[in-house]
Order: sequence, then C-alpha cells, then structure tokens
Amino acid sequence: MTTFSFSLQTGETGPLEKGSEPDRLRIPIPCHTPILSEGDQVLVGTKIAIANHDGSGDMHAPMAGIIQDILPYSMLIKVNGKDRAKTKKAPSADGAPLKEWLRDMGAQVKNIDKAPILIINAVPPEPGISIYDPLLRDYRKTLELGLETVQRIVKPSKMFLVAAKGNRANAFANCTVMHVAPTYPNGIDEMVIKAVTGQEVLPDAPPDDTVILSVSDLYFIGRIMETGRPLTETIMTIGNRNYLIRVGTPVGFLAEQAGATVQPGDRIVMGGPMRGLTAINLEQGVGKDTTGLQILRKDESLKTTDNFCLGCGECERHCPARIMPGMISRCAEFKQFKRAEDFHIHSCIECGICGYWCKAQRPLLQYIRLAKYELALLRKDETPSDMIVQAETGQAGEKE
Amino acid sequence: MNKPLEPILTVSVPPHVHCGRTIKGYMIETIAALMPAALMATYMFGMGALRVMALSCAVAVTTEAICNKIMGRKQSIDDFSGLLTGLLFSFLLPASAPWWLVTVGAASSIILGKMIFGGLGASPLCAPVVGWAVCRISWGTVMDTNATMLSSNLPAPLQQLKYFGLDSIQSIQSSTLLIGEQLGGLGEVQVIALLLGGAFLLIRRHVRWEIPTGFIAGILITTWIYQLIDPTTYAPPMFHLLAGGTIFGAFFLATDSASSPIGLIPCLLFGLIAGTMVIIIRVYGIYPDGVPFAILLTNLFTPLLDRIRPKPFGGPFSYSSKDEEGATCEKC
Repeated sequence: MTTFSFSLQTGETGPLEKGSEPDRLRIPIPCHTPILSEGDQVLVGTKIAIANHDGSGDMHAPMAGIIQDILPYSMLIKVNGKDRAKTKKAPSADGAPLKEWLRDMGAQVKNIDKAPILIINAVPPEPGISIYDPLLRDYRKTLELGLETVQRIVKPSKMFLVAAKGNRANAFANCTVMHVAPTYPNGIDEMVIKAVTGQEVLPDAPPDDTVILSVSDLYFIGRIMETGRPLTETIMTIGNRNYLIRVGTPVGFLAEQAGATVQPGDRIVMGGPMRGLTAINLEQGVGKDTTGLQILRKDESLKTTDNFCLGCGECERHCPARIMPGMISRCAEFKQFKRAEDFHIHSCIECGICGYWCKAQRPLLQYIRLAKYELALLRKDETPSDMIVQAETGQAGEKE
Repeated sequence: MNKPLEPILTVSVPPHVHCGRTIKGYMIETIAALMPAALMATYMFGMGALRVMALSCAVAVTTEAICNKIMGRKQSIDDFSGLLTGLLFSFLLPASAPWWLVTVGAASSIILGKMIFGGLGASPLCAPVVGWAVCRISWGTVMDTNATMLSSNLPAPLQQLKYFGLDSIQSIQSSTLLIGEQLGGLGEVQVIALLLGGAFLLIRRHVRWEIPTGFIAGILITTWIYQLIDPTTYAPPMFHLLAGGTIFGAFFLATDSASSPIGLIPCLLFGLIAGTMVIIIRVYGIYPDGVPFAILLTNLFTPLLDRIRPKPFGGPFSYSSKDEEGATCEKC
C-alpha cells in the first residue's frame, strides 16, 4: 500500500445520493437496551432501543418491519412496509430540555453543553472520506438550522469552522473560518481543538470550555429539527461517492450495490483505513458513526506480525501525540500495563499512524488499546462485560 | 451473527494500511549500502578481505540459527539481520584475520551482542562492536591491523599518529585516506564507498541525519579544540574524520536502531558524545582507533538520553499520579 496518501483534500465530490433500500436491517445496539421484543411490528421511526450511556442517542427503526431477532449487540428487522411513526415537535425551551429531546430523537449529544467556544469540524476525519463536502455545498439550510439548534444549547460567544486547506468551507453567520494543513491526522477532534484554541486536551477528557461538532452532526440535528423525525441514517463515502445510508444496512448489501465482490480474507472497513472498524461478516449493519466503507484485499492490507520491536523509532517520529508507541507496545506485550503510563499512554489519540509506519508490522494501536483497557480495569472496579461493551465503541478508559 | 458466514472476512484493528516497509527490506537495503565498501575492500586488500567477510557472514547466520534452536524461538535468520551483523563485524577486522578469530568474533557478536538480550531490537549495545571488543581485548596482537599487514605498503595513519607523532602523518594526503588507501579494518577505511552507502541510507530514510551529524560534529569540534590547545601535537580535524572508522561508525554503527536513542535532541547528543569520545580515546587511550569503543560506551547513555522527551499531548497524565496528586504536590 505504498500508494496510500495522508492527504485530506477531497477534490470535487458529487451530490449526496440516497442509498438503496435493503430487505433487512441489522441495527447495531452495542450500548443500548432493546425496548421491544421479537415479533413486534415497528414503523419508520419507532423507538426500538434506549441508550445506556448519558448523552448517547436512542435507536429508532430506519424502516418499517418486524423484529426478527434480538442479539446482544444487534437487532434484525425484516422490512415489510413504509408506514411512518408520527412526527414529534421540538420543545421551545432552550438548554437541557432541547438536548434531552435531541438525544431522545437519536442524536449524539454527549459533548453538547454550555461552553464559550463552539468548533465545527469540517476537516475530513480520514483520507478518502469526503462526507462533509456535499453537505457544505448542498445542504446549507439544514446545516444552519442544526447550528441554530446547537447554539440554543451551547450559547457560545465564539464560533469557528475549521476546514482543511483546499477544501470547501463557507462560513456560517458569526463564524470564523480557520484552515489547517490538509494532512491526516489534522481532522481528529483533539488536533482541531489544538489548532483553534492552542490547548491540548487528553482524548478521554473533553475540555470544559469547548464544544466540538462535526458537519454531519449539524446536518443530522438540522434534519431532526426540519422533519421532526428521529435520526436513523448515516452518511458514508463509498468509492468516490457519498450516500445517505440507513443505519443497520448490512455491509454486504452495500458492497453488492457498489458492484464490488468480496473474496475470502478481505477486510470490509467501516470508516477510513486508518481508524475504521472491520466488519465481522457481510451481515453486519452500519452504525450511526460509520463514515465510509472500503474493501481492502487480503494482500494489500497490513498483515500484523508478532515481530519484536526494532527500536527504530519510526512510530515515535511520526506520532502527533509525541509519545513512544513502540515502548508502550513493549509494555503491553509483557503485561506491564502500569509501566505504559510512564510512557504517557493516555495522550494517545488513536490515529493509527504508528502502525502505518512500523517496520516490524507490529499491531501498535491494538497494544495501546489493550493497555488502555487493562488500565481502565485496574482503576475502576467495573464488571469486565460492561467494559468490553465500552471498548467496542471506542470509549474504553473514558472518564466519567 | 454468531455463526460464520461465507465469505470469511479478515477482522483486525486499524490501521488497515501500511507504508510497505519491512524489517527484511531495511536489512537488505543496509546490506546494499555496504556493498560498495565491500567491493572496495576486496579491491584494496585482495581475496583476504573477501574471505573474512564471507566467513564472518556465514558464522553469524549459523550462530543465530543455532541460538534460535537452543532458545526454542521461531527461526529468524530470514530477516537478514544476522547477515548484516556478520558483515558489519567483518568490516572492523583486518583483512589478514585468521579464521578462528573471525569465527569467535562473529559468534560472540551474535551471542553476546544480540541473542543474549533477546534477539533483534532488544540489544542495548551495537552487536558487531561487541564482537569486535571481545576480539580486541582477548587477542590484541592479531587484531592489530598494522602488525598483521606488514607486507602491505599502505600507510596506517592512526597507528603512525599514536606511535610516531604528528610529523609522521604530514605526508599522508586527505585524498589518499578518502579513497581508502590506509590500513585498518577492511571495510571501515573505505571512506568514499561508505559515504556513498551512508547517503543512500539517508535518502531512503533508514538512517536519520541526527546521529551522523552529531557524530561528525563531535569529531570536528573536539579535534578543533585540541588543535587550539597545541597545533604541533594534535592532528587536524580532517585527518580524524577520514582516518580509521569514523565514517563507518557515524553512518553504520552509531545508527544501529536498538542501541541508539530516538528524538532530535537525544540523537544529536548521542552523536556528539560518541564523536567526542572517539577523539578522547584516540588522543589519550591505548587503542589507536577509538570508534568502536566510543560507540560501545555511548550506547550505555542511550536509556538516559531517551529520557529527554517532549511533553506528551495534553499530558503528562496517569491514573496513579492523579490519585496521589495532593500528596505529590505537598512533597514538591
């Protein structure tokens, strides 16, 4: 994969297209409690699961159908109709009631609190993901409505729109536009906060005075306000095109629609190649935070090894968090998790760049995540199963 | 979702892409960077040099294979790191080295320099230099490049400087030293060929500029200071740069990945310390060429130098220190 580039420039993208309708949905519910049971009929927009964590959005049915199966992490809906649930009206009150209503409608509102600075992150999260571009171009009304709504909760005194140099960025009212260099990992929230405020924040400790939202967050909130219907979709870059995809659409269906064949041993990456999750099988459904779909062939993706760390320092030279991934991986390898703290493991923003450059092809990010997870276990006396759930959603070690 | 569905997919953690560099590729390119010097050595010293290099490589690889067997580890000779260690070690030997010396040296490079610490990447010392030190201390006379190469009419600059003073090296031209017409380790004196190889490694980014720069700066600054003290006793900077194994040390020994520090300031300091040490050993030590010993000594500084770190992102932070925050504050 020497052709891979860290450039975040999106170039010209086409319009946002609507994804095809699958005949079944497998909705991921990793941190949710289902409120319906098997055999129940749901309409478009019926609430099917309640979030377990504060600030996470509840899950609603993207299409009408019958719940066929409820598994620990997913729910299978057989699609059978088009009937819609009734729309809901947003509360006129600002602040907490509005936030709770948005959460109830499925939006992720964890970070939306009263703060003096509001940052809108329009930098692509990863190379090859261009979801923000069509939104900024074609859906300004929705974005503006989303921004207004967020402002009613955050009440910021300053607003910033951060974009990668060379990409589209038209400011909103009262919003300062800032540009960052169009290279990965500049689109990661922590890096964007640093670019705007100069303040470096630990990945697991969101700052008190800053709220950061992505363009798609604004779009989804805007859509909820516009339609009065819950959030049941995500925007994904598939190939060079951007689609509005229903949550729970199986990845195999998406691959088929895109005309791709999946061979044994391939990886289906949900998200970008640096931070994306791999699907366990073709039936896995996409989640609300999935930003892309890529198929990496067996021989073109990173094959990790258990080689020893050479100590060459490539990981450390490229690390945006200025830590020593190589040493942390050595600590994790020999279960010396406490020692990993001496190498500042908590500063890791999990960009995956260390693993990209590792000559020994060690799974550096996996070692780091393992150490973070073990440290969280050591610290908190939580039940392991609860932690696994958190780890799967990338929230292990999160401060509460 | 419990039962596997066809086709079975690969599931793994990110990143899913890679720069394409491998340990093997790194080793092969480093060996390729040494090839000009190896050819020059064969040209200068004849088949003797080729014999020493071939034997050293063969012994190094065999020793590593046997060590892996005994230690019950996965066989690792196919990454060519053993071959590279063998080649680097042979570069430090005189072309006249007897077979048993080469064998013992190459074997101890691998055993004492590498395998005993846990193999590739774990060694705190530069492996070829460990083998060299074992031989130099145990069999000083056969390791002496000057004494064992009496038939050659090439100059031995560092020995002449040590034993006969500054006057004896006045006749030696820099250009002679540059093209490798001097006695010393068979490969380490091929200055121009090594510079070529070093440039290749720099361009390919297998070696970063910090350590060689620091090393050469250390040599030049220290010799310059000595020259300021007394220009009639101490040799000029250019001489020290081109004589003996300075360039070899700067590009190939000091940059050994496991035993050298990482980071801009640690690397520059590492190079400076090593370079300074080379001259101090050459001036005061009992050994004419101080490069291997200087690097060995500086390797010991690596863990200390690695402590010079930039502030981590948003940190430093750790659970344990946070819990004791009050306590630590009181203490300081």
